Amino acid sequence: MALNLVVNGQLYSVDTEPATPLLWVLRDSIGLTGTKYGCGISECGACTVHVNGQAKRSCVTPAGSVVGQDILTIEGLSSDGTHPVQLAWKEVDAPHCGYCQSGMIMAATALLQKRPNPSDEQIESEITNACRCGSYYRVRLAIKRAAEMMRA
Amino acid sequence: MTAKSEKTASTAAMQRREFLSAAAVVGGAAVFGFGIPLDARAAVRTGQYWSPEISTVPEINAWIAIAPDDTVTYRIGVTELGQGILTAVAMIMNEELQADWKKIRWEYASANRDVKEKAPAWSLKTPGKEPYSTDPNAPGGSPSLPAVYRNREGSDPREVSWTGVYRRMMTNGGAFKSLTYYYHLAGAEARERLLLAAAAVWNVPVAQLSVKDGIITHAATGRTTSYGKVAAKAAQTPHPNPEGIKAKTPDQWKLLGTEQKYLHTPHVVTGELMFGLDVRMPGMLYAAAKACPVWGGDVKSYDANAVKNMPGVHSVVQFPIPDRGLTRAQRFSGGVAVIADSYWHAKSALDAMPVEWLIPADVAKANSADMMKALLASMDKPEKVAVNQGNFDTAIARAAKVVEATYTAPHRPRARMEPGNATVLVTDSRVDIWIGDQSPQETLVSGSKLTGVPRENVYLHLATLGGGFGRNGNGPQAEHAIMIAKTVKGRPVHMIWSREEDWNVGTTYGAQCAAKFKAGLDADGWPIAIEARTAMDTGGSGISAGLDHFPYGVPNYRHTTNFVKFHVPVAVRRNTFPPQIFRESFIDELAHAAKKDPYQYRRELLMRTNFPLRDAQVQALDMVAKMSGWGSPLPQGQARGISLEGEHDGVSGVQAQVALVSVTKQGSARVLRSDIAMDTGFSAVNPLAVKKQLEGGVYWGIDDTFSVDFQVKDGRMVTSNYDTVLTARMDKYPREVNIQFFKSERWGASSPEASMHTVASALLDGIYQITGKRIRDEPLNNHDLSWG
Ligand code: FES
Ligand code: FES
Repeated sequence: MALNLVVNGQLYSVDTEPATPLLWVLRDSIGLTGTKYGCGISECGACTVHVNGQAKRSCVTPAGSVVGQDILTIEGLSSDGTHPVQLAWKEVDAPHCGYCQSGMIMAATALLQKRPNPSDEQIESEITNACRCGSYYRVRLAIKRAAEMMRA
Repeated sequence: MTAKSEKTASTAAMQRREFLSAAAVVGGAAVFGFGIPLDARAAVRTGQYWSPEISTVPEINAWIAIAPDDTVTYRIGVTELGQGILTAVAMIMNEELQADWKKIRWEYASANRDVKEKAPAWSLKTPGKEPYSTDPNAPGGSPSLPAVYRNREGSDPREVSWTGVYRRMMTNGGAFKSLTYYYHLAGAEARERLLLAAAAVWNVPVAQLSVKDGIITHAATGRTTSYGKVAAKAAQTPHPNPEGIKAKTPDQWKLLGTEQKYLHTPHVVTGELMFGLDVRMPGMLYAAAKACPVWGGDVKSYDANAVKNMPGVHSVVQFPIPDRGLTRAQRFSGGVAVIADSYWHAKSALDAMPVEWLIPADVAKANSADMMKALLASMDKPEKVAVNQGNFDTAIARAAKVVEATYTAPHRPRARMEPGNATVLVTDSRVDIWIGDQSPQETLVSGSKLTGVPRENVYLHLATLGGGFGRNGNGPQAEHAIMIAKTVKGRPVHMIWSREEDWNVGTTYGAQCAAKFKAGLDADGWPIAIEARTAMDTGGSGISAGLDHFPYGVPNYRHTTNFVKFHVPVAVRRNTFPPQIFRESFIDELAHAAKKDPYQYRRELLMRTNFPLRDAQVQALDMVAKMSGWGSPLPQGQARGISLEGEHDGVSGVQAQVALVSVTKQGSARVLRSDIAMDTGFSAVNPLAVKKQLEGGVYWGIDDTFSVDFQVKDGRMVTSNYDTVLTARMDKYPREVNIQFFKSERWGASSPEASMHTVASALLDGIYQITGKRIRDEPLNNHDLSWG
């Protein structure tokens, strides 16, 4: 059946079953491949997107449950990589391979919208994404740097 | 399933391509976003298949093409997978070429071209053997291939020729000097030809020309030109004496040794970097695959009828056990796959399909506990005496005190973040493979052997890998995909392993490992005899790591090894060598038995030797002790552990680490802070990459120590996803990491990830100091660390 999804401000009519995880609709139907698959069970965070401004793990989010809602993916964060979180990420060179980083960035952006000046404890409890390369040190630096830039 | 918007789905996809193809400009540097060749990108945009191997801009040599606008494209023969290799290789070529670093682009080199084209003789030169010379061109005996290639010449089961133009398209360890020499030569050859071209245009001696940032200057007349302007001429003029080309010596380096951010970072943060998982081709089908969960097993039966009417299903196919000649002799399984119009449809149907397996009877009951018992028992009868200095048996008899300890480590997955996948298009005359791959040349051979299409007609398009950690262990994703795709000739098939499939059936593992240490101490607590016995699955890597070149001073030392054959596929795993961790834990145990400070104890034992790396090791310990405030008072529940990486000689890469550890009374442990001192030698290409690898290694060591425990039951791996293992995240990572480098006069080794070893034993000793509990069988999550 046709589901109407609003992704990065654009309306898509997607012909799929409502139970299909948003992750695969984004990647396979709409062609937005920045959102990644890492576990499929809501454990790794690689598939994190925003739904109405909240971080959500798209691998366990049925597409039918977010019809008409405001979905934001890494591709919609900025048109040119100049969102403060992206700038901070580049400044500290956070990525290693980069695979988990879309999810990290989306999780961090949602955190910073809630908490403009997050403490280490808040970063640790909110950013539960997995990174097998081990970029955690620079991700923490990047979040703090982004917070600074967003406050300025 | 399909999507429509005001634009159709395919226009949406096309539009994205347009967006991608507008090469992002970041900090003035125009960089290829996703590393596929320029012409190929144009082909993708117009909906055609890629046709690489044609350069529309002047190609100076196989590695370097320069456009009239001075944009330099470097072709990278190794896959980026997080270690910064693509940036490092571009830096090396640019050090020699001296183009404008802001005008650099990169793309992956073509494995197909490697099949068709022989390496020019000058690029086959190898650096001199003398390991500590600062001059890479120095004669040091007869030039020979470095060991990492030599071992594979002629004996590789895939019969890959290592004399193809990009013959070293692999991302393996080893001495950086050897692995990178030909990139130096490629940059130097191109520079000299560009200068010769300019000299010919101006009719002046080439010796009067100089170049900086791609601008060639003739000082005497004040004339300038640029690389882009003379590239076409240079491309047509061979070097008169290519054998005479020399690489710069490290003291002449300008770019190398400076911190450079990863060239792919700008494309990561926008989500546009193309991993294998992100390949999208017109008309593409998706496949989900499932192989027999017991390695070496096969399909007994399956019921395709049960799922063939499920949404989107195209077909159900069976594939055989991959030829072991194509999987480095590893034993994988046969299986089934569903091909559908989306991955979700393929996976849903595969999960719903009844499948019965043929389980190899001899291993149907195998389990981790029995395997570990066999390893431990094997050490009672050492199979090989690797080192025997002095006389351990007579010395131990006169020891004032004997200390013994047994350590074990479980099977561990390399578990790269990106699940195994490949996109394959098979036709009668040509095969195209899109994949992130650490050994593209070998995968190309698989493409040929599995389809009968000659190698010359197999095109492998490299994508970036979402982590690697030992490609040859990443299993037969390409082989599965090729076998599946050849059932639907003419259509690209994008196969993805589920996370569970990737961890349980598709990969190989770091071997189970056990060690028994025994030491005799004199009355002052110094060792007079040490014995280290280790055992590991056959095929495991690093059974003698840190032990065959034991760096500490002890007059009587014996090291023995045992391999035991199991059916679990094992191979190298991101430099994880448990014996190195066991050694450092045992040194801690000796220091505590002797009631001495673990830092000073190590230092003294090093000073009792005269080994080549002794001074660097002492320097690393001293440096890290100072950095960490070693010895200064700590609150209750905190302690510092210290650890040293490395052997007594070889290339450097010496490092030491201090972990500041806390354990709550309830038993929650954490590394609060990590200090690392490392000898980078004089050859660190990109110190920022070294730092990032050190930081990454710290995570690996912490996660391994806390949570990684892959269990075999009934012949199969039952640990399957992030809910039970690999659970260390931001909350276990130290908030503070301090790194300092020093430079000994040696070529550095490229293994900063060894920080995984140093953090592990330092963490374990910190826990011991706080809780009195000495953990010898990781992971910590199986232990109660409460105290007080
Ligand atoms: S893929 Fe969704 S949380 Fe891992
Ligand atoms: S950067 Fe590679 S998995 Fe996170």
